[in-house]
Amino acid sequence: MIMPAGQQQLLLPVRPWFIWISLLLALLLEMTLEMGLGGRTAWLPELLALALLFWIVHEPLRVNIGIAFLFGLGLDVHQGALLGQHALAFTVLGYLGTRVHRRLLWFALPTQALQALPLLLAAHALQWLVRLLAGAGWPHWSALLAPLLEALLWPLADWLLLAPQRRPHEPDENRPL
Amino acid sequence: MPLDTVDRTPPSLFKQGHSALSKLMVLSALAVLLMVVDTRLRIGQPVRAAVATALTPLQWLALAPVRALQTGSGYFGSLQSAQQEAATARTELIRQAQRAAQVEHLTQENHELRALLAMRSKLPVKAQGAEILYDAADPYTRKLVVDKGQAQGVEPGAPVMDGYGVLGQVTRVYPLVSEITLLTDRDQAIPLLNTRTGQRSVAYGQPRLGQLELRFVAASADVQVGDLLTTSGVDGVYPAGLPVARVASITQQGEGGFARVLCQPLAHMEHALQVLVLEPLANGLPDENVKPVTQARPGSGQGPKPGRAGQESPR
Repeated sequence: MIMPAGQQQLLLPVRPWFIWISLLLALLLEMTLEMGLGGRTAWLPELLALALLFWIVHEPLRVNIGIAFLFGLGLDVHQGALLGQHALAFTVLGYLGTRVHRRLLWFALPTQALQALPLLLAAHALQWLVRLLAGAGWPHWSALLAPLLEALLWPLADWLLLAPQRRPHEPDENRPL
Repeated sequence: MPLDTVDRTPPSLFKQGHSALSKLMVLSALAVLLMVVDTRLRIGQPVRAAVATALTPLQWLALAPVRALQTGSGYFGSLQSAQQEAATARTELIRQAQRAAQVEHLTQENHELRALLAMRSKLPVKAQGAEILYDAADPYTRKLVVDKGQAQGVEPGAPVMDGYGVLGQVTRVYPLVSEITLLTDRDQAIPLLNTRTGQRSVAYGQPRLGQLELRFVAASADVQVGDLLTTSGVDGVYPAGLPVARVASITQQGEGGFARVLCQPLAHMEHALQVLVLEPLANGLPDENVKPVTQARPGSGQGPKPGRAGQESPR
């Protein structure tokens, strides 16, 4: 059987509630990190962006651009940023994700992370551009670290978010598959 | 193998909703519209308030471990540092008590002098305490979020101070929380009075340095390092006489004829915990019908309207 390089076994189907829980948890974790580190840390990876891209690539029929938009709007309000800044970035991220989802999963994990990097960078660059146009000036140079860290977290996201689907199913002596 | 592990509702091949490109177009346009509404038209507040209310439980949940860590770390502080802190607080209290007695006397004197000069008396400013929840994560601005909102009567534009000086101004009010823009934010300005010379000026935020800058101060102006700057009260937002900053450095700028004056804010901008939200001054004017004691401007028929000052957007 032809298997994608990044995948060692056949996966069980995803449970929709797990997608929602994981997206909400990503938002929660991102908020906690931001508030715990005292805010205004430009290098902090956007876990929500990573989780959204991950699910859009893996389950494009369940997580779509509209959901990415809504989560972006929530993050805008929470951060007190320009309304629509994250919404626009996540919308574009979602679109790019749907464009590449057919081929991305056929690569090995490190290559997947490398291919996700330009997408994540584009989402961040769009935010920098929007704030520049809105008159807020350039961000600190450490903002460049955020998409890098997100791409580095891709294998971790793969391991964590696909774990429920990697469960071995109940073995059946009569039909060993 | 049980049947429920198999995805029994295969996705339809031909009905997949709108294409990704059309969704991108529509939603991007919507996002850009929201940005324009938020920056130019200033009517994005209802959208914000609605989303913020929906987010509130999530925010409290996310804040819980942070608060637990903050309070938990207090348990491991040494006895010595706690005693030291208590001693400092006691000394400070004695100093404040002495000053308070002085102020009492001066207030009485001021009241009588104002009565003698037939000037309008100043109203006491109402205030309420609030606790800082977190620093807003937007790296472009300097903002805090406190745990008092519309429900507690916080108004947009209200000045905020901590125990040491003016901290900033309430810029957005949500039902349960509100956002404070610090004085060090790029877009924040505050009119100041030099207590040594009586000279008035306006300070702008310098977020990179965490300081304030007095702009357009003549190179020959009488400003010295260490001068105390207080609010001048001419803006109708900040009550007069609140300490704001001390002059930290003065640099002469070549040919410009202006000096670059940087001031260190007295308030603890980055690690304040408790703050005081004052009522905006414009709401506390004694009587709308009393003619303001200001000269009528040439060209305009009447003096400035008393109720309007400070109601414009703080940005």
